[in-house]
Amino acid sequence: MSADPVAVTPPALVPAVADEHGGEAPPRTLGTFQRSPPHDQLRRNLRRSLIGNRLNLAGLLIVALFVVLSVLGELLAPKDPFAQDIIGSKLLAPSLAHPFGTDELGRDLLSRVMTGTRVSLQVAVVVLGIAVVVGTLVGAVAGYLGGIVDEILMRVADMFLAFPALVLAVAIAASLGRSLRNTMIALAVVFWPWYARLVRAQVLSLKERDFVLAGRSVGLSAARLLFRHILPNAWSVVIIQLTIDIGYAILLTSSLSFIGLGAQPPSPEWGTMMSTARNYVREAWWYTTFPGIALTLTVFAFNVLGDGLRDALDPRSGQR
Amino acid sequence: MLVRLIVRRLLFLVVVLVGLSLITFSLSRVVPGDPVRLMLGPRASKSAVEKVRAQYHLDDPLPIQYGYYVAGVLRFDFGDSFSSRRPVSQDLKEYLPATVELALFAMLLSILIGVPLGVLSAVRRDRWPDHLARVVSISGLAFPPFWLALMAQLLFYSRLGWLPDGQRLPIEIDPPRTITSLYTVDALLTADWPALRLAVQHLALPVLVLAYGSLAVMTRMVRGGMLEVLNQDYIRTARAKGIGQRSVVLRHALKNAMLPTVTSLGLQVGLLLSGAFLVEIVYSWPGIGRYAVLGVTRLDYNAIMATTLLIALIFVLMNLVVDVLYLVIDPRISYG
Repeated sequence: MSADPVAVTPPALVPAVADEHGGEAPPRTLGTFQRSPPHDQLRRNLRRSLIGNRLNLAGLLIVALFVVLSVLGELLAPKDPFAQDIIGSKLLAPSLAHPFGTDELGRDLLSRVMTGTRVSLQVAVVVLGIAVVVGTLVGAVAGYLGGIVDEILMRVADMFLAFPALVLAVAIAASLGRSLRNTMIALAVVFWPWYARLVRAQVLSLKERDFVLAGRSVGLSAARLLFRHILPNAWSVVIIQLTIDIGYAILLTSSLSFIGLGAQPPSPEWGTMMSTARNYVREAWWYTTFPGIALTLTVFAFNVLGDGLRDALDPRSGQR
Repeated sequence: MLVRLIVRRLLFLVVVLVGLSLITFSLSRVVPGDPVRLMLGPRASKSAVEKVRAQYHLDDPLPIQYGYYVAGVLRFDFGDSFSSRRPVSQDLKEYLPATVELALFAMLLSILIGVPLGVLSAVRRDRWPDHLARVVSISGLAFPPFWLALMAQLLFYSRLGWLPDGQRLPIEIDPPRTITSLYTVDALLTADWPALRLAVQHLALPVLVLAYGSLAVMTRMVRGGMLEVLNQDYIRTARAKGIGQRSVVLRHALKNAMLPTVTSLGLQVGLLLSGAFLVEIVYSWPGIGRYAVLGVTRLDYNAIMATTLLIALIFVLMNLVVDVLYLVIDPRISYG
């Protein structure tokens, strides 16, 4: 979520105890990340993966632009994104005055696309914030306690995973009533089981490691072991997943808005804009085109950044 | 052994189905407003409202309501649609074939293009087929399906006039005699060539758009699987024995490389069904996705919940089939 790649890798990524076990090769488990490389190597990996690779660099730059726009969008926008001028500038083609053209109410599309970033980022932060907190708690408890608690919590998660994401989100958002807030709740419900499973898998493998056994033998409480020692080591996988999911959450929000759920007009949310634009496809190609390009680029950038982070944080998974 | 595993998966399926019905049931009870008022209108008399409430068991305690709900679902009874005023099951029966046809062709297309592209990109790594595959697999996941659909419509219908803008067939054309309800297949079976041509033309854009997303996943999975397998010892052995590149790739490597791809097929079905929600609405494709989306705007909750449940059911069953298929292909796997 941050523009600075180094900022998203807190020192906690490197397990405090890892160095003491430096020579020991961890058992290889498919898809899990068990040991972080030492700190300077991590930074080198990040630099090489994110800045050295042209595609990843492009992703990083677009994400940076997206974040800047979502904070300063209204200040940087050339015109007021909500100012209407139905008589003077309805559905104008792109020109110097309106680089992206105008919509059916004469609003400047460039300004609207720019301010739309804020809605998208806001949704992504809220949705994934809830999903990560809930998912991490459930996954950590399930993984750490095991047994019947684990069984029950994971079966509940499985039930939510039995629906295709968009379909479940539509059902929940529609039942709660059409609004952006309800759509955010719906998306949080869709996303939490993924984090529960991810964190559970991490905790399962981490809780057998020597540093946890050591902590337990010193008499640390379960809560302290879990939250201070085990979970900090699980963060890297969560951050990778989070980066990819930001793009996905933004895409799902726009999809729901396009259907008529989610953000409602006159919100400059991209999906909402395209939903209206559908009625003007033939006379105003620019109306659907530019919000769509903005959405595609944003999703693309977060996907690429997520892939890049994975290569840097978990070098074993890299196939190149 | 295999039978026992399958039985076990079926038992698990029952647990999942109970969960699914619990979720859709709870959702249909949190719906804002009184569904009876919604159905009868604000001016209905008090006695009429009470009659309907009794008819739908809305005054019973929740567990009993759930019992009626499950009993109904088992009889394929999802209540009436508020908008079409018919049983929802009848609507679903009418709209499902259109979605099946769309998803089936999209799946087929993504396999036909994705597998060769994935193989080629792994074998010619870092050359142009690989670059093409990467562009496809990255862009396919980033393009919003509904936007791609709109853009394709703009280009191929509005600008070029090559393809129709929606529907399964022009209104004035009668669909071919119903055998499978898939227009293309029916037209083929009844040798109705003009209808076949039209049906294919109408399918083209929605299928292409829908296939693009799963094509991305397919290409990525096949490429990943191939790269992993091509580095293994038995492939080197095969090469050392003097077996040609073609045979090594197609006969020795591809079979094993396809394993992860097969497991992803279940997920692909989910992707296609979700995509259908968005693509169908743009192309006025009369499938269950469009039915559910129209239900959203018309507050037709029975329609939404039934579609959701049906899609989840298809999704879960497909995943089961894939799991079993995987067991058959790879005897090393045992689900413990």
